[in-house]
Amino acid sequence: MIELRHITKSYSTPFGPNVVLDDITVLIPTGQSLGILGQNGAGKSTLMRIIGGAEMPDSGTIVREGKVSWPIGFAGGFNGSLTGEDNCKFVARIYGQDVDRVIDETREFAEVGKYFYMPVRTYSSGMKARVAFGLSMAIDFDVYLVDEVTAVGDKRFREKCAAVFNERQAYSSMIMISHSMPTLRAQCTRGAVLTKSGFSVFDTIDEAISVYEEGLKR
Amino acid sequence: MGQYEVVHALTIRETRTRFGAHQLGYLWALVEPALMILTFYVLFAFAGRSAPTGMTLFSFIATGICPFLIFSSTVTFVSNAINGNKALLYYPQVNPIDVVIARVFLEFATYVGVFLVLLGLETLVLRKASVSDPLLIVYGFGLASLLGAGLGLVFLGLGQLSNAMERARGPLMRPFFWVSGIFFTADGMPPQARELVLWNPVLHTVELCRAGWFERYNDTHATPSYALIWAVCLLLVGLLLERVVRRKIDLT
Repeated sequence: MIELRHITKSYSTPFGPNVVLDDITVLIPTGQSLGILGQNGAGKSTLMRIIGGAEMPDSGTIVREGKVSWPIGFAGGFNGSLTGEDNCKFVARIYGQDVDRVIDETREFAEVGKYFYMPVRTYSSGMKARVAFGLSMAIDFDVYLVDEVTAVGDKRFREKCAAVFNERQAYSSMIMISHSMPTLRAQCTRGAVLTKSGFSVFDTIDEAISVYEEGLKR
Repeated sequence: MGQYEVVHALTIRETRTRFGAHQLGYLWALVEPALMILTFYVLFAFAGRSAPTGMTLFSFIATGICPFLIFSSTVTFVSNAINGNKALLYYPQVNPIDVVIARVFLEFATYVGVFLVLLGLETLVLRKASVSDPLLIVYGFGLASLLGAGLGLVFLGLGQLSNAMERARGPLMRPFFWVSGIFFTADGMPPQARELVLWNPVLHTVELCRAGWFERYNDTHATPSYALIWAVCLLLVGLLLERVVRRKIDLT
């Protein structure tokens, strides 16, 4: 379960503070997958970073039950001068996981061959994404935050991701941001729309999509 | 997850990043101060300057440079702890303070190692071991490290508040190189100049290390408590600043 209570976040700009999230209160129960829709700049990624704990809100509280992932689909947490293996070791250590198991599972999923033992800066963006994704799957999270992960990688990788997600949904929840309606329909049961005026949750993803598309027309 | 595990993992990561995955990387940590000492050695020798009595020129410079490098290098690495590691903060259990602790520890270990190797080598060559009080050296190194951590934290906080502050760090740090006793001892200074340079807490850490290394260096002007008060005050201000900017760290 994740609960946001009166979350407000703004960034300071030369033209005064830009309020990205304004007093958002929402309860996301366990065992559900929630798709979040919103136009560019609506604050979806900011919301994800706050749910994941990477950034602090200006005010408001967050209650997290269970282990929440970092926003998946993001490979920036890697240090370019370290090898893929060393990067994975670091993450496994800070999450208190069995380092050897995490390394094995990540290597198997990522399929980057001997590049796994080379500095991450030599990776293509697809390889980086595969390692990052494999790593996040090797750590047992209760809630997965997914930020446009399917935008990177080829068809085979996307299918592999979808398959793992489906398998995970039996025991983990997922909060997903995507601009791809088919992806959201396939992966999510519930949906939410984030706009300047607030955050509204709907019981079905279809309902959220129609509200979102209605909003685009206006 | 415990903070210990996080700091431990960060220390390994920082070590790997700084020295590379190969053992040879550690050699570089040694080469840099060694070259510095060599440069000054040559300069001093040409200028005809000699070390104060009871010291060899090499150990005089080394006992000055090692504590100074702990201080200045800790300031640099601590003040860059957020900007050089922004991506790490995506992992919620990693806090800026954890990165700071890991970096302070790594700098300390590195220069203590460098110090031991350099002066160990000299002792071997001269076949004369003369460490007067090892605990004083540890005290001096510890104080230099704490001063660096405190000042680094202050710069870290100010740097998050304004970009100008971040650029000002280099120029602000430069005078320390000249007034921290790398090239002189407080005792060898004219009294009026001595009064002035003794305001610098880093000089006290260098004096402490020299008092610990040289048996006959009794004319030390080190007041450890003075440096300690500086370190504690800087740490307090730095930690306070970290709390102020904590919510302002911009990951994007």
